[in-house]
Amino acid sequence: MTLQASPPAVGGSLLAAELLRELAGFGTVREYGGTVIVHVPHARLPEAVRLALRCPGARFADLFGTDGPPLVLRTVLALDRDARYLVLQTPVESDTMPWLSDVVPAAFVEECELFEQFGLQPPEGHMLNRLMVAPVSAPHHPRLDAHEHPARDTHLPFIVEGQAFEFPVGPVRATAVESLYYGLVTSGEEVVDVYLHTWHKYRGIERRLRGQTPQQALFLVERGEGLSAASAAAAFAAAVESALGLDVPQEVRHARAVYIELERLYNHAQCAAALAQSTGLWIGQSQAELATELLLRLDAAVGGHRYLFGAVDVARSPRPPDISALRDLLPAAYAELCRVMDGLLSTNAFLDRVEATGIITPEQSAELGLVGPIARACGAPIDSRADHSASGLPLDLRPAVRDGGDCLARLLVRRAEVDQSKRLLDQLVDAPPLADCEPGPRRGWGLGVAESPRGEILAWVELDDNGRIARARIRTASARNWRAFDDAVRSQNVFTDVPIIEASFWLTVAGRVL
Amino acid sequence: MSVWFLRGIRRGIVTTRYPARPEPSTAALPTPPIFRTDLLTAELVEQLIAVCPSGALRREPTHLVYDVGACTACGRCYEIAGPAARPSGEIELSAVAREHLIKTIRIGEAGR
Repeated sequence: MTLQASPPAVGGSLLAAELLRELAGFGTVREYGGTVIVHVPHARLPEAVRLALRCPGARFADLFGTDGPPLVLRTVLALDRDARYLVLQTPVESDTMPWLSDVVPAAFVEECELFEQFGLQPPEGHMLNRLMVAPVSAPHHPRLDAHEHPARDTHLPFIVEGQAFEFPVGPVRATAVESLYYGLVTSGEEVVDVYLHTWHKYRGIERRLRGQTPQQALFLVERGEGLSAASAAAAFAAAVESALGLDVPQEVRHARAVYIELERLYNHAQCAAALAQSTGLWIGQSQAELATELLLRLDAAVGGHRYLFGAVDVARSPRPPDISALRDLLPAAYAELCRVMDGLLSTNAFLDRVEATGIITPEQSAELGLVGPIARACGAPIDSRADHSASGLPLDLRPAVRDGGDCLARLLVRRAEVDQSKRLLDQLVDAPPLADCEPGPRRGWGLGVAESPRGEILAWVELDDNGRIARARIRTASARNWRAFDDAVRSQNVFTDVPIIEASFWLTVAGRVL
Repeated sequence: MSVWFLRGIRRGIVTTRYPARPEPSTAALPTPPIFRTDLLTAELVEQLIAVCPSGALRREPTHLVYDVGACTACGRCYEIAGPAARPSGEIELSAVAREHLIKTIRIGEAGR
């Protein structure tokens, strides 16, 4: 479908149909199923993004580059109320990136990535943070584009002075916690500032996916953020199926829905264990870990792998879920998890630590484009299972939403989602008919989405003429949500609150820097 | 004191009796393959090497070299090997030396 141009409106909110008409003033607009592609010139990208965000329910979802020549930027905006994704395609015409942070602060992390991966400079006077590339990295550090090292250092200097001092944490931290370095700036006990250094975990996965077949690529996609293996694989497989115009049988979508809900359950159990640990409740922690173990064994019995690796493939289900095992083992594991979560939520010593700790306001959540339980704990009903029927689940699924934006609200959202996942799995055991899904034409690119335990995962895949991957972009929920961690830590918290806030976010560092 | 705390202490649960007794839940775990040498042809070996995502397999003139330490038990080889490969069921894979995890498997008559 190609739309005709009309004069842009001024001010006020826009309906999605109006928006698409107005975007036609920027360039060609084409719609493919739930994805709308708009060609936007380099100089007008901020204007187009500003216009799109006037549409109610619109939010910034991703920004990434595909090396050329020319280098092409893709800005992905979710139109949740309209069940569409808007992709603004922009060929880059200079070595300076179109600066979106002033329009939508959520874009800042992706702008840092564009500099580090493609050498695109921020406009004069703007600075970036380090994300993937270490300050002393060698020239062969794997990037998506082999650009020369920029002459100008665009990274913000970290200066701590006056009464404050920096307390370094990581990158090697306790037990099996991932590599992450954060500098806590404090004047004694209250956290004044925090900055994250995540490059220790960078593995160049998106770069390594190039040239692989989709089946080969799934192996790395699952391991990009191992705790979201089924969700990431489902989003990636959906993108490939869209690119190839493949018909996806109902039983395949049914299997993915089962695996994604199982993944949510064990992740929420792990989050409860981490919260109990961070608040010093060892018995609560061991009980939550017991529930986690039961859920992991359930996953192995149902899907053949404790972390559900290898359970999802393109257009087929390599391991159909063992429904009888699900029926037999789920009730006990679910009951164990409910018992420990409800126990924590009725313990004053625990509630005192999580209530009003690590607050994210609804405004911050919207500005930073947060997704998943963190956004839902700020009152934002963002859930791609409901908004974009990503998994083929019943469309009347209502996101679990709480107010408060603190650690407690995040746990309450997860508690409600445990019940929700159990209900969904009970429905899926009885195999209700899923919505029909018509395959589109083969077009060589596709966008896939899945609602992981941490929130929306987006996958963009471009295939070459041989069916191999020319560009694959995996945007995990962790990549979106880490953006809010420093805001949460700064919200009048003390040192000992930081591990609690990190546990309540329950993100992965691996997912931030693929 | 919270009821769940007392219950947790009282239950005294351990999640497994392993290694004193076999752990039943391991039956559901993916395990590395075991190959039937008489069914391994040169062509099949090349296919197995191509499909292995973690580089656990490589070819020597008359042998398939299988690095169990690099194998993730992903199961891709089972799909193309047919009866030439099956799950070993083995979960006790630790070794005191890295080279103990590298197996050299003779390719069958058809492969030479």
